[in-house]
Amino acid sequence: MSLLSLTNVSKTYAGVQALRSVSLAIATGEIHALMGENGAGKSTLIKILAGVVAADTADIAIDGQPATIDGPGDAFAHGLRFIHQELNVVPSLSVAENIFLGRSYPRRLGGLIDWDRLADAARQALRRLGISHIDPRTKMARLGVGDRMLVSISAAFLDSGAGTARLYVMDEPTAALTGEEAERLFTVLREIRKAGRSVLYVSHRLDEVTRLCNRVTVLRDGGVIATKAMAETSQDDIILMMIGRQVNEAYPPPLAPAGNEVALAVRGLQGDGLDPLSFDLRKGEILGIAGLAGAGQSEVLRLLAGADRAHRGRVQLGASEGPPRGLATAWRSGIAYVPRERRSEGLVLTRPISDNITLPHLARFSRGGVFLARRQEQAAARAIGENVRLKARGPRQLCRELSGGNQQKVVFAKALSGRPAVLLLDEPTRGVDVGAKFDIYALIREWSAKGMAVLIASSDFPELLGMCDRILVMRDGAITTILDAEGLSEAALLDHCYGRSRGSVTARAAAG
Amino acid sequence: MTTLLRRYGTLIGFAAIVIFFSVSLPDTFLTARNWLNISQQVSMLTVVAAAMTIVMAMGDFDLSVGSMASLAGVVVATLFVHDFPVWAAVAIALLVGLAGGAINGVLVSLIGILPFIATLATLTVFSGAAFLISGGKTIFGRDIPRSFSDFARNGIPLGTIGDQKLTLPYLTILALAVVAVVWVLMEQTTFGRRLYAIGGNREAARLSGVRIRSLRLVAFSLTGFGAAVAGLMYASRVASANPTQGSGLMLSAIAAVFLGMTMSEEGEPRVLATLIGVLVLGALDNGLTQMSVDSYVRDILVGVIIIAAVASSSLWKRFR
Repeated sequence: MSLLSLTNVSKTYAGVQALRSVSLAIATGEIHALMGENGAGKSTLIKILAGVVAADTADIAIDGQPATIDGPGDAFAHGLRFIHQELNVVPSLSVAENIFLGRSYPRRLGGLIDWDRLADAARQALRRLGISHIDPRTKMARLGVGDRMLVSISAAFLDSGAGTARLYVMDEPTAALTGEEAERLFTVLREIRKAGRSVLYVSHRLDEVTRLCNRVTVLRDGGVIATKAMAETSQDDIILMMIGRQVNEAYPPPLAPAGNEVALAVRGLQGDGLDPLSFDLRKGEILGIAGLAGAGQSEVLRLLAGADRAHRGRVQLGASEGPPRGLATAWRSGIAYVPRERRSEGLVLTRPISDNITLPHLARFSRGGVFLARRQEQAAARAIGENVRLKARGPRQLCRELSGGNQQKVVFAKALSGRPAVLLLDEPTRGVDVGAKFDIYALIREWSAKGMAVLIASSDFPELLGMCDRILVMRDGAITTILDAEGLSEAALLDHCYGRSRGSVTARAAAG
Repeated sequence: MTTLLRRYGTLIGFAAIVIFFSVSLPDTFLTARNWLNISQQVSMLTVVAAAMTIVMAMGDFDLSVGSMASLAGVVVATLFVHDFPVWAAVAIALLVGLAGGAINGVLVSLIGILPFIATLATLTVFSGAAFLISGGKTIFGRDIPRSFSDFARNGIPLGTIGDQKLTLPYLTILALAVVAVVWVLMEQTTFGRRLYAIGGNREAARLSGVRIRSLRLVAFSLTGFGAAVAGLMYASRVASANPTQGSGLMLSAIAAVFLGMTMSEEGEPRVLATLIGVLVLGALDNGLTQMSVDSYVRDILVGVIIIAAVASSSLWKRFR
């Protein structure tokens, strides 16, 4: 008998069928993967389970007994626990308070909160995940994204008197975690499975899923394609089921060799938390930035884009030479920037696709820099939209209504429509489905063959190795080396990121 | 159907108000003369609400518009007392509005004070200045030149119906002109496009090279200017100026923008929708006055209508 079975789940949003009579059964004591491209319906299904969204039709059974989920309270009472991709944390409260959010705090005589016991309980919850470097009394705001995720996960694993957890639903829990942190999470998940509880695990990372999960259910276009035992399927099969077509090679080969002419020369550029940086980026070259989480990869891009202030140093781009002068100037001089967080930094979700694409280049789509030239704007948005293989109803569709992969394509279209000389990409394919990922790689190749210089910061090492000509390695805010990507292995790159002696770095991470 | 109801709920409400008063006041409400009258009554509110739409498009607020309108009226009247020519007095009063708005802009964008707090503070500053300049008294009578007060009394004759002469008041024309200018600014220029982008996602707009500081500064200056225009219209209409006469405008203007925002899918303030909001308030005011309903009851009704409109629109969004 299944722990949880869903049958005939359908949901329509504003005339669009998000889920078509989906069925899903999760056995007791299994880790069940839920996969599918962005827009396939995974998020909708999870939201229905969580009681956040009401399904049009849904038959839910728990332990074979019919059940209803009319709100988050019902989901909790049924023993469902959720770890969402977007972190639900209160930055102004401490780690311990966040872990105990919505639960009763330990009290001392007179009803006052027993802060010491609270901190101890939180420390134990963290230790379960093998975390000792986070102080429960620290303010959440002072933690990085990875640490915040770890705290959220610890909170979900904490059992309180309010009922026992039976099924954990996790949406991309490792997106912000380092390899080591992810491994610790997997250990805990396996323990959970041994204890007879279940996990519904949503992830884009195929190797994680194949290593960890017992079965996999693949969604495409709102319907279930198949549920298979992991032992009876392969990564290629899963990809095929997800996108409905064969992907021959994950990374397309270069269309033209990188040039020798320097597109962007960086000399002694220094910003907050960074040592002075110097490197050359050549025309048609794809240069990667690798490092452990927080080594300064994003900060380098933000400095060059003009988003953060540079304290000293100079940048030469074509004929212009000098210190970076802010975002508007950078865009105008041909530096395009694709930020890390597409929803909060990349897009104005409430605005149409075309408005987003032309926002940095409005001067070009206006008469005298004042009056909007809408026809030109629509035509340009349509053309670049086709170039990035955007799937949308038209340039006036709101970005909010697009899937994650298509939203990222809008961000690319925005960056590319100014025909930039330099393209800065921060985690360009994070949270993007396989199909859109391949489109984005092909796009980067196409434009770099035209002479555009590309700088990619990514925590996805296969991506860096598959796409880049050279890779900058960063540690603690400094460039430690520049490697040729040709013939470099993932393990070797990782060793460089750790500074070659992995043991000492691990020890330091554990210490603080 | 439900989408329709949500989008056009305010418009349907407006129609319901018009139908209700047409039935209750069959002879006087739905007449050309009465609507020309309403258009004049709401002309000041129209200008302030249109100006308010500019800052609200960025997700900001200006609470100081009412006291700025009073200040501009007092400034122009005081200059008349000192025998300034009309054009000079008007120009100086408008500059005061621009400068006051720029002060709001500096506080909000350069210093980084929350608009609510910054404009609440300047509200009392402008109001205090208006009292100080006027000595707390109403300036009226011969001090106000005829050429200034005649503007509000006259208009373009539209012909006659029966024995009634119909005129399109200059105040109405001016208000419509301001709406037209704001519409062009917000819907047809790069400036408006950038303001809406800031309102939608400030960080994404910034990272796209939108110069947020200078745009906010300009937007607040324009709103201050609009408030001063309304203050002068008011002073012309009543041929006098006192330091509190604009104070009712701020809440009504914000209410009109909110009513208009319920008509937009994304909850964005749009100037034509704001105009509908103004007309809802104006029609309600006019009808209730004609029915001799107590003005306190009117205030309660206006509040209830705002709550009903905004609540229904956000409830629709939640259950979508």
